[in-house]
Amino acid sequence: MTGTLPRTVRRRTAAVPTSDGARLHANAEGSEQAPVTVVLAHGWTLSQAAWDDVAALLAGPVADGALRLVRYDQRGHGRSTWPDPPPGTPVSIDRLGEDLADVLDRLVPTGPVVLGGHSMGGMTIMCLAAARPELFGDRVRGVALVSTSAGDLASDPRSAGGRMARIRPGVLTAALAGAALVERLRGLVPPEHPRHRTMVRDLLYGADATDEMVLEGARIMHASTVRSFVEFLPALGDHDKRAQLDALTRVPVEVFVGDSDKLTPERHSARLAEALPGARLHRVERTGHMLPQERPRLVADGLLRLVAAAGGRDLA
Amino acid sequence: MTDTRTHATASAAPREVRVAVIGSGFAGLATGITLRRRGETDFVLLERAGDVGGTWRDNTYPGAACDVQSHLYSYSFAPNPDWPRAYSEQPEIQAYLQATADRFGVRGHCVFGAEVTDARWDDAARRWEVRTTAGDFRAQVLVSAAGALADPTYPDIPGLESFEGTVMHSARWDSSHDVSGEQVAVIGTGASAVQIVPAIQPKVESIAVYQRTPPWVVPRTDHPVKPWARRLYRLVPGVQRAVRGALYALREFLVIGMAKRRAFLRPVGRLARTHLHRQVRDPRLRAALTPDYTIGCKRILISNDYYPALCAPNAELVTAGIAEIRPRSIVTRDGVERPTDTLVLATGFHVTDLPIAERIRGRDGRSLAEVWAGGMVSNRSTTVAGFPNLFLLVGPNVGVGHTSMVYMIESQVAYVDDALRTMAAEGLAALETTPQAQEAYRELIARKSQGTVWLGGGCASWYLDEHGHNTTLWPDFTFRFRRLTRSLDRENYVGVPAGAPARTEEAA
Repeated sequence: MTGTLPRTVRRRTAAVPTSDGARLHANAEGSEQAPVTVVLAHGWTLSQAAWDDVAALLAGPVADGALRLVRYDQRGHGRSTWPDPPPGTPVSIDRLGEDLADVLDRLVPTGPVVLGGHSMGGMTIMCLAAARPELFGDRVRGVALVSTSAGDLASDPRSAGGRMARIRPGVLTAALAGAALVERLRGLVPPEHPRHRTMVRDLLYGADATDEMVLEGARIMHASTVRSFVEFLPALGDHDKRAQLDALTRVPVEVFVGDSDKLTPERHSARLAEALPGARLHRVERTGHMLPQERPRLVADGLLRLVAAAGGRDLA
Repeated sequence: MTDTRTHATASAAPREVRVAVIGSGFAGLATGITLRRRGETDFVLLERAGDVGGTWRDNTYPGAACDVQSHLYSYSFAPNPDWPRAYSEQPEIQAYLQATADRFGVRGHCVFGAEVTDARWDDAARRWEVRTTAGDFRAQVLVSAAGALADPTYPDIPGLESFEGTVMHSARWDSSHDVSGEQVAVIGTGASAVQIVPAIQPKVESIAVYQRTPPWVVPRTDHPVKPWARRLYRLVPGVQRAVRGALYALREFLVIGMAKRRAFLRPVGRLARTHLHRQVRDPRLRAALTPDYTIGCKRILISNDYYPALCAPNAELVTAGIAEIRPRSIVTRDGVERPTDTLVLATGFHVTDLPIAERIRGRDGRSLAEVWAGGMVSNRSTTVAGFPNLFLLVGPNVGVGHTSMVYMIESQVAYVDDALRTMAAEGLAALETTPQAQEAYRELIARKSQGTVWLGGGCASWYLDEHGHNTTLWPDFTFRFRRLTRSLDRENYVGVPAGAPARTEEAA
């Protein structure tokens, strides 16, 4: 070693092939000898960049070799592809659970894991727990569920989710068919546009969110495709794991929700905490759906507590 | 004719030839073909490798292709109606050069394995004494067609020599090394990298592209040439000539923007920006790929698959700058260490410091490199005062970034041809340009370069030398260069008649 940079962080980029022919863009940071690996799953129409603020707070422990951090783009999001050839069945959140299993098999084949999921990423973890319960307690040693839900998103007609659920399938099909046109129209109101930001702020952020935060989030979402919006919207409505959370009772769980969350309002997290008696529920004031961006310290500390409980060093 | 190969290895005495040409790429072959056409058979092409083709023989990296349409990027005297694509790939261009060398009977003049190690002007004998790795030669006239994209440059990165994986320069690709499933690093984002990255990205485990300055990239309008079109070109060669002419004229419009009025580049810049926006969704990647200099300042690249390759799930664009290379990894200045199996150096060539210039010594014993220490100077990009009977092809200020280099080469070869004709007609043993002509040409280039995008576009490019002068590009319409080199400017040359005494008065 020439030693000009004594403290370096190993970084590996990989395309994880899924069992149905999609390729997931994943990045692993930190030593492969780290005692615990944290794997983060992002939400709908976002990308792994949505975890940037949390990742920045974990950078120290990562550089110290206390943990390894794996982030990936969900299928159809960020740089991850859709399956080729396309499968006959529409996408489901269960499929995302299988994707997460593929990521674990490929990038974290051994050692304790802490999973963190935001919104649809949290649902992804619930689906993994339902499909592969044997992993929990053994490999998976802790779970952070941020601004998410176990199901029944569409039932409340006043919630944003309820309103979206009433979008007729025909509209979605038309949007997908005319995706190029919809993209063109989206381009007319870019994230830098004040109206765009106002809309994003009202729907997704709490009172304390800064303009930079909102712009950053809007940019990430603007980069997502019409197809990811359209294909996952019904899948989110169909997601229901309320009766299949048993595996999650075997590991420490931290649940986070903002009191101003319009997409997955508080009651969803309250129900999760009821179903998981050991879970720790954090209700955060003046905070919306973009909690990992709005309160990164809180989420990072939660993850570090889980890492410590999973057999890692106590860093929280 | 004699077998040059046996001759070269057997003899101790230098072989006498009228013309010795260094190199057998586009320029060397064009020279040989022109000599043959005027009935000259007493010449050799000194080729360091084992085949003709030059740059197109050496650059065999995956995806290697030409950025100029083949109808234009080919000899005017040897049209090829059978180009399979609008923009040919390296194997087709190399096959074209091989076939053309055979067709015009030039291959027999090639001495392969003959790397020129030293060439000196013997003023008493009025001969060039040329030493090569395949024997010595004495020639009345020396034509250096060694090219500008011939000798790879290697970056000066700490630890590069300690790397234990595979290191390949783009121009020295080892096709026996399979990169499938490897973690590959590509250093550089120039014309070669833009072709290599999409060619290998689908089969590697991961690809990290280390970028210092992003290039401007415009769409590549490539397409297969339809069989009926090929038939038409074969039956009516005038059609292909017309297409060639149209492509030439279209590309010449770029000169207006690059060298005359930069406002004309704005639509090209918009085209590139739209191309980037259409192909890259990620706002951060997009920002990292957006150049901060005027389009045209560096070579404009054309590709439809470079950006998509960078957006692939196994790709990463690294902009942090390389701090050091370790035996199995590359470390950037932000402290990130990326494990690496194969390192591809797409880091270009010695263009402003041509290695051949160190090996050619003129009348006073000084090398071209020494004479050029303050920057490359020449008369009409072809001759240098103090170097009688030496002609440089693809030398200073003859490069073009917007159109076919073959056009410039043919212009220069016509100039050399006229010089040889003049020497024969006047019975001259030596012909040498004057320092005044050289100075006038330098001023002409400097004047033409003023206000061009290459000097004022806000970038550092391989077009400019270490003094910031344009010594590589022809900074005007290429038809103006052709006019300038149509015939020998006899007034700018001093001729020494055969049989005249050695020029002792000039040595004083």
